[in-house]
Amino acid sequence: MKNVLTQLKWFIGLALLQALILNQMHIGGYATPFPYIYFILKFHSRASRNELLLWAFFMGLIMDMFSDTVGMNAASLTCLAFFRTPILQMITFRDLDEDFEPCVKMVGLAPFFRYVLLSSLLFCILYVTLDTFSFFNWPVLIFRVLTSTLTTLFCIMGFEYMWRKKV
Amino acid sequence: MKNLLDFLIKYNHWFLFILLEVISFALLFRFNNYQGSVFFTSSNSFVGVVYDLKNSITSYFHLKDINNDLVQENVELKLQLEAYKNSLTSLSKDTVDFERIRQESLSEYDILEARVLNNSLIHADNYITINKGEKDGVHSEMGVVDGKGVVGIVYLTSSNYSVVIPILNSKSNISCKIKRSDYLGFLVWDGGSSQYAMVKDMPRHSMFSLGDTIVTSGHSAVFPSGIPIGTIEDMKDSNDGLSYQLKVKLFTDFACLQDVRVVSRRNKDEQIQLEERIKSRE
Repeated sequence: MKNVLTQLKWFIGLALLQALILNQMHIGGYATPFPYIYFILKFHSRASRNELLLWAFFMGLIMDMFSDTVGMNAASLTCLAFFRTPILQMITFRDLDEDFEPCVKMVGLAPFFRYVLLSSLLFCILYVTLDTFSFFNWPVLIFRVLTSTLTTLFCIMGFEYMWRKKV
Repeated sequence: MKNLLDFLIKYNHWFLFILLEVISFALLFRFNNYQGSVFFTSSNSFVGVVYDLKNSITSYFHLKDINNDLVQENVELKLQLEAYKNSLTSLSKDTVDFERIRQESLSEYDILEARVLNNSLIHADNYITINKGEKDGVHSEMGVVDGKGVVGIVYLTSSNYSVVIPILNSKSNISCKIKRSDYLGFLVWDGGSSQYAMVKDMPRHSMFSLGDTIVTSGHSAVFPSGIPIGTIEDMKDSNDGLSYQLKVKLFTDFACLQDVRVVSRRNKDEQIQLEERIKSRE
């Protein structure tokens, strides 16, 4: 996403999708997909970390407003945005001086898959822990994290397939 | 200064990250009840530990003043205690005496349980048969009472049974007194209702009012003093006009008499002998 307009379109689109449809999904009572994090993951590699942090914070805040969980999405997404660049660097082994947009075509399927998996895992761990806020029933906690991660991964890979750049 | 600025500029995204996270967590704890309460309770316990530590150090600085206050309070409390002790001694003296007197009076008497076998109410001279006799230590001239009041005096005994002259008998003559004013009289029965008896020879100057309790005087060797007999219901002049006659409603219900007690005074023989000697001299 190079220009602000595109970013805004993705912002609004993902926010609405998450808020209106996917937030209501509780598969088996455990899993909830969070594909709106795709917005952060989609930022080009040379995006300023501050910019990323601010976008993430506001995206999180908007989601909190919709789901009545003030602070949870904001904290989790901000943290994800902070660690996005190191994760990207670690996974793709590409020089970050090159400005590229993380997608299957650019980094390859397996690295992209790893990138999305790691990011989703980080986000889900943070979000579910903040939501539960106790380690009393930690097997359920872990199960929720894993199932949410998988559903999020599934959704994001689906989006990636739908909006893949055609060569 | 320049190094600091360089440092801040280099790691500016860290500071922004920390700032945004702090804002998020502030919102989280503020607007979510459960998370807020967990934060509140854990922060409270942490703050509590810190304050505890601080108090354990600073409390030593106030020990002198606290000591002073305690000494003052001690002195005041001791004075109060003395005052209370004195007033308690003066107030409780009477009750302790009463207890002592009561125990002394009971120690003079033996009490035997007995059951009524035969009873009558309608004759001019009624008799009661009880199931205790000589074998059980019952002798004639012993008093018989029940839970409510006086029943009568033992008249004849056999080895296992005894016959009692109750109040409801023309021969019955029990020394009694008005409980309140200690004026003496004699309780007799002149027939009529089994619930009433008469106290004769009550002096005219005696002080009493209707409703007063009549009790045994304790002057005879038969009954201890203070056993209830009945209450004054009516009064009238005696036949010779020199004394009063009191109509007494008896406490004892002779119609349903079952369990009685035979009262024997331990040293009564000595008293009786002394009184006989006076009479024989006259």
